[in-house]
Amino acid sequence: MNQSTITRCVAALLLGGAVLATGAQAVAPAEILAGYSAQAGAPPSPARGQQLFNTRHGGEWSCASCHGAAPTQAGKHASTGKAIGALAPAFNAERFTDLARTDKWFRRNCNDVMGRECTYAEKADVLSWLLALKP
Amino acid sequence: MSETSVFRAEAPANAAGTRKVLVWDAPVRVFHWLLVACFAGAYITAESERWRLVHVTLGYTMGGLVAFRVLWGLAGTRYARFSNFVRGPAAVARYLRSIVRGEPEHHTGHNPAGALAILALLGLAVAITASGWATFNDVGGKWLEEFHEVAANLMLAVVGAHIAGAVVSSWLHRENLIGAMIDGRKQVRPEEGVRSAWRTVAALMLVVVLGFWWMQWQAAPAGGAASDRPVAAAKAKNHDRGHD
Repeated sequence: MNQSTITRCVAALLLGGAVLATGAQAVAPAEILAGYSAQAGAPPSPARGQQLFNTRHGGEWSCASCHGAAPTQAGKHASTGKAIGALAPAFNAERFTDLARTDKWFRRNCNDVMGRECTYAEKADVLSWLLALKP
Repeated sequence: MSETSVFRAEAPANAAGTRKVLVWDAPVRVFHWLLVACFAGAYITAESERWRLVHVTLGYTMGGLVAFRVLWGLAGTRYARFSNFVRGPAAVARYLRSIVRGEPEHHTGHNPAGALAILALLGLAVAITASGWATFNDVGGKWLEEFHEVAANLMLAVVGAHIAGAVVSSWLHRENLIGAMIDGRKQVRPEEGVRSAWRTVAALMLVVVLGFWWMQWQAAPAGGAASDRPVAAAKAKNHDRGHD
């Protein structure tokens, strides 16, 4: 394999990554919430969301174990100890602005906390609570 | 596959004057199987925060292994060296054509198509380790996280092709390539073998890898994979708030 072939492969990989990364357009957290609520077929409940967030569902962790009971400030990863940026959108403009990313992290974190994926209703509840948190 | 090609494929193994000799030195084999373990383990633990430190540790190990392999590709034994197996596209095309014809070229070391997979795997492993390190340490942006995942899935695809290639060429050449990556031996002319297995280097690799894992275990905030301390802390916090 000559050098130009290697260069081309690397360039293709980088380009592919860049296209994938920029392919997702930014949306407002409220739009993501509206989507989840529509899928759930019921209006979200911030109180239920807060409850879900702070409860350990028969496992070792709650969402708050890493994000903190008040996700208006940085949390601390429960196994790596790394700082995690605030989750509430009013305190961290990057949060919940990319549907694919939001779905991915709900999938991962719900599996860690509840041992299953969250339903649309549960995701809508949690997001509605996070959006209700204001400075 | 025709009768003739079966005969030809078997010819090297049956040729007079061949015997089982060492082709893959010990560092090559230990590298290979440690890389398998690291990539598989990191892939399986990718989704869970509970296993995040294991994932990261296996990823860094993979990076270290590849760094070693690059050096060994310059200084190792005959078939471990890049100069022995890195070939241009023309050689790859010629090899693939020889397979299609049913008269596969025999290579004692890596064949040109296999070499291509190896270079892709090494390159991807470097890209995955670097982007994983950057993501874990909040250097760079979200795009690096995407890149990390895309590259890891690409590597899984190349692993699939590599395994398929090893199985197919084992069958075409009537030689057990998977077994050869375990005991290092192939049925070839004695003068084609390598003299030393470099077992000391392989043992040193194992010591360094196990030592690194032990250090990571010690440095983990909760004293390892178990998350007792953070959970206890969370428990206490919940208790303070009268939440339990």
